[in-house]
Amino acid sequence: MAEDLYSVLGVAKTAKAEGIAKAYRKLAKTLHPDLNPGDKAAEEKFKKITAAYDILGDEEKRGRYDRGEIDATGQETPHRRYYREYAGGEEGARYRSTAGYEDIGAFSDLFGDMFAERGGMRGGERRFSMRGQDAQYRLDVEFLDAVNGTKTRLTLPDGGTLDVTIPPGVSDGQVLRLKGKGGPGLGEGGPGDALIEIRVRPHPVFKREDDDIVVEVPITIDEAVLGAKVEVPTIGGRVSVTVPPGANTGQTLRLKGRGVKARGGAGDQLVKLSVMLPEQIDEDLKSFAEKWRSSHRYDPRRKLKEQA
Amino acid sequence: MLSERDLLVRVERLTVTRLKVWVAQGWIKPADAAAQSYSETDLARATLICNLEDDLGFAEEDVPVLLNLIDQIHGLRAELKVLLDVLEELPPDLRATVRLQITRTREYGKR
Repeated sequence: MAEDLYSVLGVAKTAKAEGIAKAYRKLAKTLHPDLNPGDKAAEEKFKKITAAYDILGDEEKRGRYDRGEIDATGQETPHRRYYREYAGGEEGARYRSTAGYEDIGAFSDLFGDMFAERGGMRGGERRFSMRGQDAQYRLDVEFLDAVNGTKTRLTLPDGGTLDVTIPPGVSDGQVLRLKGKGGPGLGEGGPGDALIEIRVRPHPVFKREDDDIVVEVPITIDEAVLGAKVEVPTIGGRVSVTVPPGANTGQTLRLKGRGVKARGGAGDQLVKLSVMLPEQIDEDLKSFAEKWRSSHRYDPRRKLKEQA
Repeated sequence: MLSERDLLVRVERLTVTRLKVWVAQGWIKPADAAAQSYSETDLARATLICNLEDDLGFAEEDVPVLLNLIDQIHGLRAELKVLLDVLEELPPDLRATVRLQITRTREYGKR
């Protein structure tokens, strides 16, 4: 066993770790004893490449091998009992598959029968088990339904339906998983899941920022100057909000707990005020503004000038 | 018989999650399903699946395909063994006839 480990794996001494792993896997896939039951030669080769990979696949051991500190036989893996040693036995019958010999010949029914007597399985029974595929769907949801939660029915491409409970606060792009509502499984594998991607339609008034709801509310000049109670829409209905005297455009009022219900609490609603002039400026307002300007000049653009 | 715990200890890279998934997928069938206990066969099979995924680099979705093929091969080998055992018990002249027929069929195709 003084053979050079690099030639066992068929790689250059300068090969990168990646290349060595790749070479090992390629060889192992063809030589693994469980993929070659009964083939003694393949097993010997597999042992050899595995022993080689044990050393060359380990950065530290490889270095020691290269420096001659350990030899090629340095690491012998303890004897391992492969699956194939059990698969042929009485116990292994639980896993053995005898599906589909019908095409071989008229005599083939014999096999199924023989097996039935020994293993208690009907011949031709499928033993292949695989979980069903996950099914992917997309569901458009109205903004308020997404925020407050709802129940809806999804019509599937095959004509079937799926009842979907939209949890309150679901967000755009979120994927709901319905366990066991996907494709059917094979054998003893369970069905797959239905994965439903939620698309939330935008709302003309409400915007969502995480768990907060943002609404822009226009107010009149007099409401801004003197303060007022104004009616504001929220996702739970209209509420009366106090605008403090001297409120200004850009100012935000926070309505605690009026946002999206989330785990362990709720977001807020943010009311963004914007002061609106009347559509028609009448004589009163004009003359007031002229009078007021002459004695109360102020510069809202001072910061603008300072900074740019 | 091995408990789930024994199995986890003896198969180095086996985790509870992995085992759960494999049993759910039907890749591993506890020898005694009611008692959730496992045989040496189950142990060797669990080691094989670790091997396929971790060392040989097969993806999880490849595993059922491989297991299916492996199970088919062992099914075939078991049947073949029965057939050969039966032939072994035949009287010598019958055995000779079978041997001749097998060689002929191999070389010249069906009859």
